[in-house]
Amino acid sequence: MKDPYKKLMVIGSGPIIIGQAAEFDFSGSQACKSIMEEGYPTVLVNSNPATIQTDIDMADSVYIEPLQADMIEKIIIKEGVDGILAGMGGQTALNLCSELAENGALERHGVKLLGTQPEAIAMSEDRELFKEAMERIGEPVPLSRSVHSIAEAKKAVEIIGRYPVLIRPAYTLGGTGGGIAYNEAELEEICARGLAYSRIHQVLIEESVLGWKEYEYEVMRDGDDNCIIICNMENLDAMGIHTGESIVCAPCLTLSDEDHQRLRTASIKVIRTLGIEGGCNVQFALDPKTKEYRLIEVNPRVSRSSALASKATGYPIARISAKIAVGYTLDEVPNKITGNTCAAFEPALDYVVVKIPRWPFDKFRTVDRHLGTQMKSTGEIMAIGRNFEEALLKGIRSLEIGVNYLEPQNFTDEELMDELEEATDRRMFAIADALRRGMRPEEIADIVKWDVFFVRKIENIINMEKRLKSEKMTDALMEEAKRMGFADSTIADLTGRKAAEVRAERKRMGIVPTYKMVDTCAAEFAAVTPYFYSTYGNGCESVPNKKNKRVVIIGGGPIRIGQGIEFDYCCVHGVMALQDAGVEAVMINNNPETVSTDFDISDRLYFEPLTLEDVLDVIEKEEADGVIVQYGGQTSVNLAVDLEKALKGSRTKILGTDPDDMDIAEDRRRFSELMNKLGIKQPESGTGYSFQEAKDIAERIGYPVLVRPSYVLGGRAMEIVYCEDELRTYVETAVKVSKNHPILIDKYLNEAIEVDVDLVADGKDVFIGGMMEHVEYAGVHSGDATMVLPPFTLSGEIIDRMKKISRDVALALKIKGLMNLQLAIKDGEVWMIEANPRSSRTVPFISKATGIPLAKVGTRVMLGESLKKQGYGSGYKEIDHFAVKASVFPFLKLVGVDSILTPEMKSTGEVMGIDKDFHTAYYKAMIAAGNKLPMSGGVYITVNDQDKPEILESARTLTDLGFTVYATKGTSTFLRKNGVNTTTVFRVSENQKPNALGLMREGKINMVINTPSMKSGARRDGYMMRRVAVELEIPFLTTANGANAAVGAIKVARGREMTVHSLKEFSE
Amino acid sequence: MSSRYLVLEDGTVLKGKGFGHDRASYGEVVFSTGMGGYQEGLTDPSFCGQILVFSYPLIGNYGIKKEFNQSDAGAQVSGVVVSEYCDVPSPMYGGEPLGNLLEESKVPGISGIDTRSLVIKIRNSGTLRGAIVSDEESIPETLEQLRSKPLPSDSNLVSRVSCKKGTYTDSGKDITVGILDCGVKRSIVSELSSRFNVRTFPFDSTAQEITDSKIDGLLISNGPGNPAHPDLMRTSVRTISDLSSVMPLMGICFGSQIIALALGGSTYKMKFGHRGSNQPVRFDGRVYITSQNHGYAVDAESLEGTDLTVNQVNLNDGTVEGVIHRDLPVFTTQYHPESSPGPKDTVFLFDRFGKMMEGKI
Repeated sequence: MKDPYKKLMVIGSGPIIIGQAAEFDFSGSQACKSIMEEGYPTVLVNSNPATIQTDIDMADSVYIEPLQADMIEKIIIKEGVDGILAGMGGQTALNLCSELAENGALERHGVKLLGTQPEAIAMSEDRELFKEAMERIGEPVPLSRSVHSIAEAKKAVEIIGRYPVLIRPAYTLGGTGGGIAYNEAELEEICARGLAYSRIHQVLIEESVLGWKEYEYEVMRDGDDNCIIICNMENLDAMGIHTGESIVCAPCLTLSDEDHQRLRTASIKVIRTLGIEGGCNVQFALDPKTKEYRLIEVNPRVSRSSALASKATGYPIARISAKIAVGYTLDEVPNKITGNTCAAFEPALDYVVVKIPRWPFDKFRTVDRHLGTQMKSTGEIMAIGRNFEEALLKGIRSLEIGVNYLEPQNFTDEELMDELEEATDRRMFAIADALRRGMRPEEIADIVKWDVFFVRKIENIINMEKRLKSEKMTDALMEEAKRMGFADSTIADLTGRKAAEVRAERKRMGIVPTYKMVDTCAAEFAAVTPYFYSTYGNGCESVPNKKNKRVVIIGGGPIRIGQGIEFDYCCVHGVMALQDAGVEAVMINNNPETVSTDFDISDRLYFEPLTLEDVLDVIEKEEADGVIVQYGGQTSVNLAVDLEKALKGSRTKILGTDPDDMDIAEDRRRFSELMNKLGIKQPESGTGYSFQEAKDIAERIGYPVLVRPSYVLGGRAMEIVYCEDELRTYVETAVKVSKNHPILIDKYLNEAIEVDVDLVADGKDVFIGGMMEHVEYAGVHSGDATMVLPPFTLSGEIIDRMKKISRDVALALKIKGLMNLQLAIKDGEVWMIEANPRSSRTVPFISKATGIPLAKVGTRVMLGESLKKQGYGSGYKEIDHFAVKASVFPFLKLVGVDSILTPEMKSTGEVMGIDKDFHTAYYKAMIAAGNKLPMSGGVYITVNDQDKPEILESARTLTDLGFTVYATKGTSTFLRKNGVNTTTVFRVSENQKPNALGLMREGKINMVINTPSMKSGARRDGYMMRRVAVELEIPFLTTANGANAAVGAIKVARGREMTVHSLKEFSE
Repeated sequence: MSSRYLVLEDGTVLKGKGFGHDRASYGEVVFSTGMGGYQEGLTDPSFCGQILVFSYPLIGNYGIKKEFNQSDAGAQVSGVVVSEYCDVPSPMYGGEPLGNLLEESKVPGISGIDTRSLVIKIRNSGTLRGAIVSDEESIPETLEQLRSKPLPSDSNLVSRVSCKKGTYTDSGKDITVGILDCGVKRSIVSELSSRFNVRTFPFDSTAQEITDSKIDGLLISNGPGNPAHPDLMRTSVRTISDLSSVMPLMGICFGSQIIALALGGSTYKMKFGHRGSNQPVRFDGRVYITSQNHGYAVDAESLEGTDLTVNQVNLNDGTVEGVIHRDLPVFTTQYHPESSPGPKDTVFLFDRFGKMMEGKI
């Protein structure tokens, strides 16, 4: 039975970072819904505006505030919260709750933690306590010692008796700072890093179980001590590779029932001993030879794995965990999927689920691609099939990495062996290539430490490739290939034909996919929740309701840099708007972490790759009336033109902006023509097919220029080059320009202010949802830039001109739905940078800041309801408060990425600061993003000549506030001349003390203001300082605007207590 | 691999590939939703007379190991139906393929079947009679036979799987338990023999024979077919009726039904039964996940006026999962506390039975 509470709080996980992605939006949203339906007044707090859980109606009060203990405490007091669900916001929320328990805030305000208690959290998180508890119940854990120093670490290794050892920092996310040491030197290096990252400066030195098999169990326990296993999962990669980095299948495929039951029983013993209430994840290592096992880790909360398990089984772990937290037992909660059974049962699967991580190495080419105990992937995909091969191949094409099957990678033999021996993201391709080159599966399995069972599955795929290449196509062969998961395009590649021809041929043969249901019970009961996957067999279970209009929304696929949770937010809002309008919403997506793939969001969910074939198959099955391609980011936009072609003559229309008009925006030549016609300025540009041509263009339009290859999208490999030498390097080494691969060259508007505009248009009216001024100058990718809504330095006249341009472009492109524009302002002129005829990354941010649900408005426009009819018409939403978007970056996890912001996007997620004035909002955004703005101490300033006057006022403010200002000679001279007291230090390149690096390490410099200079010494200095700043987590500002905003924020924060505001306070 | 056909009494013919032994076979087609433990399932004597469909699509992945067998006689099913059969398994457990077991036990298998569709068919229509044949031309004839032949459970299947002669294993324990062997699984024997000395009795042993052997209590085992078969009413059921007030009794699955019949209750055939490792049971205010394999159940209403009460129920459909005697040390479970395959959540019941035999409960 449920317990009485006055008000409950759900804490989110903050911005998307490596190791903490969209899964906590999924779990947090489920939790909110789950407790709201029980009638509890609910408060939600999260700093991430791109989430569904921060929608104004997801809780009674929604706070977008920094996830800091003091802020949470303020909300607790303001709202009168008396219970907190700690386990829904990942490690972030759990750590916050531990902190609130430790600092006495919970006790002070009479707040209870629901579900798992602080002692239980401590017991599972603190390695030493965990080990003791496990030893008490006789469950084996790897031999280990917790240490607080490198000397202690060495002693620990002596006790364990051998290298390698694992180093695991306590209380960090996704294994940050951990590693494997094979010798003493490595031990020292990794320990130093690990100790620094750990919140309690503690790392664990542990016996290595490298090469053992890794299994995971998702367990639930309720207050009556009932325990069930939701799902078990098998990591294809052996111990030594983080489970977030491994290909994983569910259920376990190579485990006997006897061993499965041993691990199941152990999981239950563990969850009982720890006293966890709700969902929990238990990880095991199992020696395939002796069948000995070790307990590796317990996560006393919902997790990435529980999100995967929820999607893999259909069992809503977060929802049920929330019910348990408020006092229900498992048998009191109905199973929504079957509708007639309860939550106390164990799901039975009758399919194979494969999860593959999505890594950002396509973006970060300098990062070490080797996989280990630290997470590097930003997201993942899940694929479902009736056999492993099918699930794996569907998974590969879901990744959107430009490869649709296990395509040969042209490794040299030596490279191939390297890839096999040391795992990278390319491991499965290397295995395929090794098989093609005649290596035996056993040999390969031995090297890669996989069960040969899985290598043989890849061999089956390779054998089918061979058959397709050599045999005459027959119905039987086609059917066999399709059953194995081969895409039409793959069959086309292998047989030298076009994908469309293969598709037509197989349809002639009557070979079309059937859709099976994910029902938690392997068909034992009739299920009511429509969650489907495609396969080739008989007996299609998806029966569209032909009475209603049906619209398909194409999702955004895996979370990656450049395409984050924002697009999932838009998809979910699309679904809601369709349903509000009485239209059945059909969702296609393959990201197991997200809300859009929650089974009770859409009317029908298809868990599928987002290729033309897979999407068309669903559309044809559904006989859909329409398709929405504007919401799934570049994934869905890229399908628009092909989809339209394929759907010609069918009942299915692409809703909203015509794909041909979308193409105008995407095609540079067509777009330039339109801009000329409309009299809108664009930076000069050209296309170069050789270095000579590129050089001529650059000279004609003048350096600096923005360069990028024509064949990649989304800012990949985009750079600003300042001179001919740099251009030569870029052209000849970085992108290898050729006749087929020209580069695009744009005039770079130096020190221009960039503005993002998001709007909805219906062909007649244009409603501008918001204009966001970037704090950094144009040239920083808009996904990385700090943005301010509304603009904070621009004149009314400029804003009017931007409105007009937005309106003109939207009408000229006949936009029906959403569009995003990127404009630049320089010398009083407005320039067009680009137009994106789709929902953008900033749509959720604007919606949260203004209260206008842009994606919903856009959806209704696509359904034919005009802006006027919706009560908007033409216009621009004015607000009298400020919202600041700040980005978070993976520099700590991805060693080797320069932290300077460039046209290439590097951030993984975003936060929002919202308050009545700009500086407070900015301050909140900064601290929410993890930039620890100092309240006292030292600030180092070294800026280029143009910026010197710009930062003068800020330097003065800093000294007024009692900061010590350190500066290099040039800056120092200028500041002193203007009456600001400074301490002069050497430039890093001068190699003398004191210099910035030393002072940073000594803790004397707590913030750095460094704007780039063209002098090569200064650029190198900047690079070195940025690296140290990242390591020591010192705020590093690279623009004068950013610096001024930060100083303003410090002044405001020093001046008064921060207050907290719910979103409703701003919308009223 | 050659083609093979699964023929169902409703006229459905599914074409697949053969594995295991090549012979025509006939049985009741039932499905199990267990995701692992295929070997334990196939060798469970309770499946005698049945063609087993695995709803999990990949079967044979980790091969077979002798220790997993639930019967010395190898596979007990009449046939196996799978989506995908793995003939080169993971080497984890030695790498011997499942096909070898079926070959030795002369059981045919068929793969390449859309087992989910088949499960849905059985769910909707109830258990069907079916046959596995290799000869396409024999299908019409097979179909005719299917419709006219009696159900396997119309015959006394227990007599096929019960031991012919009793055995005794002395493990030096204080307590000796008897097993009325209606087709007992090896894991029941090993759960018992790790705690007690074990004496087994053929299903048709008389009460006198059992009391003469000086045991402390009797477990009535799992077994195949209809518990209310006339042959069983005359033998096992009568024996238990006579013994109920003489010694502690524990009934598992089929044994639970025998006890219910012996004490005045009745049983019925379920539409498609419970077969799998995920059935939730409410017992003493708690929920246990149990392993099950039964097509018959005890009729709860029939227990009115008897000395038995239902103390365990299935959370999904409310069917009887266990009964207990009002006064005597007699209890049953419709599920399998010995698991194999399945969860070990209720293995403590063997200790409870031990306490009863010691006279402590």
